[in-house]
Amino acid sequence: MLPLVVEALDVRFPGLALPALDIPTLQLKAGERLALTGPSGSGKTTLINILTGLERVPHNRAAKSSVRWGDTDLASLSERRRDQWRAANVGLVMQDFHLFPGLSALENVLLPQRLAHLRLPAGMYDDALRLLSQVGIERLDQAVETLSRGQMQRVAVARALLGRPGLIVADEPTASLDAQSGAAVAELLLDLAAEIGATLIVASHDHRLVDRLDRVLRLEGGRVVQPELAAA
Amino acid sequence: MIRFIAADLRRHWIGVLIVMLLIALATALGVAVTLQERALRLGSARAASAFDLVIGAAGSETQLILSSVFLQPAPLPLVPGQVLAELNADPRVAWAAPVGFGDFVAGYPIIGTTQAVLDGLSGVADGESFSHLGDAVIGSSVRRKIGDRFHPFHGTVGEAGHVHDDVDYEVVGRMKPTGTPWDRAILVPIEAVWAVHEHHDHEETAPAAAAGETPEEQHHNHAGHDHDHHGPFAALVDRHAASTSNNPGVPAIVVKPKSIADAYNLRQQYRRETTVAVFPGEVLTRLYGTLGDARQILSAVSLGAQALVAASILLVIAVHVLQRRRQIGALRAFGAPRGVVFTIVWLEAFAMLAAGVLAGFAIGYAAVRALSARLAEASGVAMPVEFRSTDLGTLGLLFVAVAIVTLIPALLAYRQSPAQALRS
Repeated sequence: MLPLVVEALDVRFPGLALPALDIPTLQLKAGERLALTGPSGSGKTTLINILTGLERVPHNRAAKSSVRWGDTDLASLSERRRDQWRAANVGLVMQDFHLFPGLSALENVLLPQRLAHLRLPAGMYDDALRLLSQVGIERLDQAVETLSRGQMQRVAVARALLGRPGLIVADEPTASLDAQSGAAVAELLLDLAAEIGATLIVASHDHRLVDRLDRVLRLEGGRVVQPELAAA
Repeated sequence: MIRFIAADLRRHWIGVLIVMLLIALATALGVAVTLQERALRLGSARAASAFDLVIGAAGSETQLILSSVFLQPAPLPLVPGQVLAELNADPRVAWAAPVGFGDFVAGYPIIGTTQAVLDGLSGVADGESFSHLGDAVIGSSVRRKIGDRFHPFHGTVGEAGHVHDDVDYEVVGRMKPTGTPWDRAILVPIEAVWAVHEHHDHEETAPAAAAGETPEEQHHNHAGHDHDHHGPFAALVDRHAASTSNNPGVPAIVVKPKSIADAYNLRQQYRRETTVAVFPGEVLTRLYGTLGDARQILSAVSLGAQALVAASILLVIAVHVLQRRRQIGALRAFGAPRGVVFTIVWLEAFAMLAAGVLAGFAIGYAAVRALSARLAEASGVAMPVEFRSTDLGTLGLLFVAVAIVTLIPALLAYRQSPAQALRS
């Protein structure tokens, strides 16, 4: 749902001559689905961290950097405001799930909303139940560490979707799953993101996933090498 | 948030339990030192407050108090007989009573005294006061029944001595509890003690046939209290025996002055070459000085132990927080504000440590209760184990300390960048 405009992004780490990320411009339409590919160390994770506000947009000496999602420029936000913005607008799915052991599947899905608002917003509980049934988790009170890996990632997908975020970011969501579970998770991610019309960014090497997205952005050495529309 | 904390604590319950136990034991150590010292102080002060002024022959004041108030036997020099008579006639004196000792039965000291102490201490709860020389009134915690008879055993507990076979006391009454060592005493008329030892002195040269024997006791259950005493012990108690100046003298005299001014006057008057007069409180204050020093040393030791435990536990928590970096980073990534992450870590650590501190107070209290009960049984001094409002202050101070110390891991978590935490 959120459109993206990135300008003059230049990320350097101390001690390295070359920038870790150098993206003069990047645009995404609202609801567009982007695949992010490239070898490890190419800057995918750095880009995701900046696009989700997990890391500060670094100061660029040459030109004014901006990372604008809709009306919000992440470059102008404090850490606290970025946390707020992320909690309200971003659903995250990560390679190794980051579910919280000791809590049930349902509690895991609800946790981010609970922590961000201190009280669960109205309707969230029912939404969580609906999402869990959509991703095929039947035992809601089952401790999350006793689920299979495929089930865990489906719980994580449900968690990312709760609150109908405008942006869903998935970092290698299928990489640690077997082929069958991976395919199921990819399917769910695409379907559910489409259902709420969220803008989707997926960093992945999984062709079944990459091929079904609107656009592929290939990074190498922190630079965009292949900005083109996906064949699909 | 609470569920999240509870889940983490549950997952590491063994570690949490050990940490809580360590904190609890360290706290209990400090609490026990404070409570036990207070119990000793209060118990001895209450025991001493039963007697306003104690007069003895010139000698150690401390020993005089230990012997008369706490009934610790010691060979005290005797106060001449006329002092007692003088005191009984003194208008400033409400009552004065002799304290004569030397004999035991089954570990209970036998105290020769007069009716005045029976009335002045607490009064007789069951039975009646002594009216014959062979009558005895027992303290509330003496394990004897009214009607029991016994022979006094001469000498101190555990030492060779001999039984006064020819002397036969009968328990006729039981005192109300006083919370003092006098609860463990057997009170007999002072004239009886004089008579026994007069008698005894004659026999001193005879072979000690009965030496080393245990006291032989007879447990007759007499219905009522009849006149089956024989020999000199059948005589009636002479209420004025202590007022005549030809008595053989006593080791100590307890005095109840009529007013505070009288108490100071009397103390002044009887501080002379042959007698000492002391307020038990004065002597105890000196003893408390020593006790206080000991408590300070123990407090310092326990404080050191607490500091060491606190430091090591802080390290454990810090390591735990660092191990949870990924989890904490994930919380942030999924939208938990920094303040919430800070609060979670702080609350979790605080809950664990505060629970340990509370448990420590309970353990310390229980330990001191148990110890004081044993001490009270052995000495007769009732030891009141109690918390005071200052302990609430200590508890509050400990909580504040815990709250501040647990800020460290919370800040550690607060400062973690979510992106860095996720990367590792």
